[in-house]
Amino acid sequence: MKKFILALSLVLSGAFMSRINAQCDTIASICTKHIISSFISDGQQYRSLLLNSEEYAEFRTTFFGETTYRIAACSGRADGNLIFTIYDPERNPLFSNKNQQNAPYWDFKVKSTVEVIIEAQLDGKKNPGSGCAVILIGFKQK
Amino acid sequence: MKILERKLNRSLVILMLASGFFASCEDKKEEDKDDLVETADTVKTAVLNVNGELFSVPSPIQTALLIQKTGVSYDKSVLSVSNKVNNFSTDYSRAFNLGIYGADLGYVSLYNQTQDALSYLTAIKQLSDKLGISAAFDAATMERLSKNITNKDSMMVLVGLAYRSSDSYLKNNRRNDISTVILAGGWIESMHFSMAAYKSKPDATIRERIAEQKQALNSLIKILGSNTSPEVTEITTLLSDLSKIYEGVKLTYKYVPPTTDSIHKITTINSITEVVISDEQLSQIAAKVNEIRNKITITTK
Repeated sequence: MKKFILALSLVLSGAFMSRINAQCDTIASICTKHIISSFISDGQQYRSLLLNSEEYAEFRTTFFGETTYRIAACSGRADGNLIFTIYDPERNPLFSNKNQQNAPYWDFKVKSTVEVIIEAQLDGKKNPGSGCAVILIGFKQK
Repeated sequence: MKILERKLNRSLVILMLASGFFASCEDKKEEDKDDLVETADTVKTAVLNVNGELFSVPSPIQTALLIQKTGVSYDKSVLSVSNKVNNFSTDYSRAFNLGIYGADLGYVSLYNQTQDALSYLTAIKQLSDKLGISAAFDAATMERLSKNITNKDSMMVLVGLAYRSSDSYLKNNRRNDISTVILAGGWIESMHFSMAAYKSKPDATIRERIAEQKQALNSLIKILGSNTSPEVTEITTLLSDLSKIYEGVKLTYKYVPPTTDSIHKITTINSITEVVISDEQLSQIAAKVNEIRNKITITTK
């Protein structure tokens, strides 16, 4: 019986993961519209399942000097469901779209290379449940 | 026999339940907003990368753009030979070299080398077919790339998009291991470009960019660290050796408040990072990068 439950759990979690992936993929497709053609994609898609608005996904990246970056942050089918905040290595906040009506994308002109931490969390006011958070990065040289 | 029958029955029940689950998901697909049912933490860790953190590896195209901007001439000899696809006999060696060829495609496109770009496009298509991920570089993507091969700006955008779509495809199909190895290949090749460019023209911008790869390298080691295959572990170990050399590279950060222009949706990051890297460290980095790249690109076949 134990083996049966284990097998069932595996199958169900596999099915669940497929569903999450499909959902993340749909969100990513919607989100790509924000990385317009003057920006080159960094070739990656950052995605994370967030179980509630208290939880956040975090990732580290380097913003190289003399470059303009565009960060697009999406969750769900509509814009503005995801809050993203950018910190420097000392945890000084550099930007949060929370102060910009949850703007789905924002540009960053970088003078000198800086290592940043990007945090993303669901806006509990707009989505009290769970959801897939997708972040895309594009860049252009000055 | 009865045991086998019971096992088959169990399998059937599981399959039926799973089919039912999938069917209900499909039915609900259109009306779904973004809510998901309650899940266990095991599901969460499968989506997140390493200990709940996601990692970013800089695009090789960005490095190639910088090299071109500094006025370094096109040098075909720095590229990996594009006709060695059949020599890569394992999935991981194919994935490493797919990353390398992607970086090479970005580099040749930037210098408007149409013929070379075609060779790398062909090699990328062949490698992705061999890896069983041809859907990641589908016919439509390849056609768009081929049609725009003479337009370097479009090529830069399209190569970035092609690699993002392959990253997405691999993540959807739970091939994150392959996805990270492709990233690693691209990063190593971009480091190789930088070293060769600095050797031909010792420009301060390139020197700084090499030093500024410190965090990217640490991210790369973390994401490759979960892969226990001996082939990948060997490269991760060499990258860790490279990281030890980087420990001596000094990056001094000074916070300066950013300025935000809400109308144009742009924030200027004014902080400054000062970089100190010695000639000796540069030579050691160059030697180690060369060793890693040779391990990946040179095959005995």
